Amino acid sequence: MFLMRFTERAYTNYTEEAVRNSPNEAVRLTFSNSNFDPKVGARQYNEYLDEYEYCEEVGFDGLMLNEHHNTPTCLGATMNLEAAILARNTTKPKIVLMGNPLPTFENPLRVAEEIAEIDMISNGRVVSGFVRGTGVESLAANINPLHNRERFEEAHDLIIKTWTTPGPFRWEGKHYHFRVVNPFETPLQKPHPPVWIPGLGSPQTLVWAAERGYPYIYLETDPQGTQDMIDIYTEAARECGYEAGPENFGYLCRIHVQDTDEKAYESAKGFLTGNVGVGRVPVPKDYMLPVGYGGNRNDPKIAKYLGRVRKDPFLGLGLETATYDEILASNRWIVGSPETVIRKLRETLSVIRPGILGVWTNDGDTTHTDTMNCLKLMGEEVLPALREIGAELELTDPFQKEAARA
Amino acid sequence: MVAFTEEMVDVGGTKVHTLKGGSGEPLLLLHGAGGNTGWLRFADALAEKYTVYYPSHPGYGKSERPDWLETIPDMACFYTWYLESLGLEGVRTIGFSMGGWIASEIAAMCNHSISKLMLVGAAGIKPNDGEITDIFIISPAQVLDLMYHDPSQAPEYQQLYGTDPTPEQALVAETNREMAVRLCWKPYLHDPRLPSLLQRVKIPAKMVWGQYDGIIPVECGELYKKAINGSDLVVIDNCGHSPQVEKPEEFIKTALDFLA
Repeated sequence: MFLMRFTERAYTNYTEEAVRNSPNEAVRLTFSNSNFDPKVGARQYNEYLDEYEYCEEVGFDGLMLNEHHNTPTCLGATMNLEAAILARNTTKPKIVLMGNPLPTFENPLRVAEEIAEIDMISNGRVVSGFVRGTGVESLAANINPLHNRERFEEAHDLIIKTWTTPGPFRWEGKHYHFRVVNPFETPLQKPHPPVWIPGLGSPQTLVWAAERGYPYIYLETDPQGTQDMIDIYTEAARECGYEAGPENFGYLCRIHVQDTDEKAYESAKGFLTGNVGVGRVPVPKDYMLPVGYGGNRNDPKIAKYLGRVRKDPFLGLGLETATYDEILASNRWIVGSPETVIRKLRETLSVIRPGILGVWTNDGDTTHTDTMNCLKLMGEEVLPALREIGAELELTDPFQKEAARA
Repeated sequence: MVAFTEEMVDVGGTKVHTLKGGSGEPLLLLHGAGGNTGWLRFADALAEKYTVYYPSHPGYGKSERPDWLETIPDMACFYTWYLESLGLEGVRTIGFSMGGWIASEIAAMCNHSISKLMLVGAAGIKPNDGEITDIFIISPAQVLDLMYHDPSQAPEYQQLYGTDPTPEQALVAETNREMAVRLCWKPYLHDPRLPSLLQRVKIPAKMVWGQYDGIIPVECGELYKKAINGSDLVVIDNCGHSPQVEKPEEFIKTALDFLA
């Protein structure tokens, strides 16, 4: 099993009142950046990088990064920049980009260049995830949400061709046009860095990923619905002539550990101020799902899967509406002493059977000290136990699978 | 009430759902970003004097969308084809909101399609001082709230918005919003070329704006007036973005005076 660590790198130095007073009471997109203090930002960026670097010492296999824009909920506005720093300052873990939001870029070749550089600097440790970007990213980048999926697929095709086909060549697509494609720097890994696709399980993306054999990483989705999503991927894989296994799936889960259950219960409350924003004020639907982003229900490709995925009982637009205790009781967030966390994780892993586990250790106003202690306990007790559970449940990850094939 | 029919007009293989009623010379009505309002009293009153053609734009309502149609200039080009298919030329035209933008592009593109041009709260020109409200990052309910200055003075407000939509109506509304996003996303609800192109327009033109238009500022009406030589702007007092619905009697009188 592949164990990668994640945090959203939230900024929390603002009040719920400020959110309530912002346009459409939204913590994302239109929450004024006058609420941001770069001095706090300077401290946080360095702490977050320290935490990621420490993850190598404690034994994580991967350092998972993401990015969002116009929001305090994630300071990673340019993930590739953080990835480049970690590429240089670490030596073993994979640098897992989950992922570059392709449709929002006007120049995918720049993304191809950046990832190639990071891959070389890290000596071939990049996992290049690609995403469509949460709906609100289309608004932040002002890219027509109706074009989101088309741009995602076209940018992906262009980047892969850029990495695998000797240039120069010409690209005349629908959304991208280049008279000369010939970035001089190409990735160290051949034919190109592994591509993983993180997301919330849109059937169209599941099928698209399965058709390409790209592992799909479920971002803290409801376990029951996740099984339905796995079924959709598995069916598509069969139609392509292969049997999907744990190496095709990943699962991201918030997992926070401290010496005792009581201490973990308190310090994990940072999850309530991080990616959901201080005050957990629900973000307007029109921000998160702009018109056109989700496709039209009349589209046969979408209609075919309507009702296939069981509804997430917590889903409004995230876990923001449920109480802390409800979320913990459901094991959607796993919080406690090492013993508690290991016991609960065994259940989750048995149900979802992912070869890749994203460990979202902390968020929001959980202190740096508590986070470092959480990481230390992860290394000492949780990760070794997870490796044993992984072996017992035969949760083979993509690298193990590839090694076995070789 | 004037009887009207529903027709599917074939334009190069694309079927365009069109409400048609009345008698007399043809009058084309082009609806806004939200879609075709249906046969309301303003259409009915205009049909007393004219043969009213009130199509749903390609991609809206029951009208098909050809794959190539992605922009307002595409739409304008399509409508010259639509008129040609109907055997019409030199048609009086009223464009509402986004439909006003389409009408302006048609007039600038093809100087024999339209004989008289009326623009009502029209999109298409970027204001210098204010901003066009971003209807794509607020909810339909917020848009509706901004559209009317005083809903109580709109006699058909309840008929239009008083009941929850059926699932079919909701799907149409969603499809209409998608089409608006397709057509108007960027540059948002305007075309930087338009003021320059409008210098070509030589036909009588009149702009009508609600005094408190919460979507397209009255300033845009002034900019249209400046761009179209010899045109005129009428501002309707205590009215929002849709004078034809909010103050139908005043709107109908203004329209009939101009079109005569």
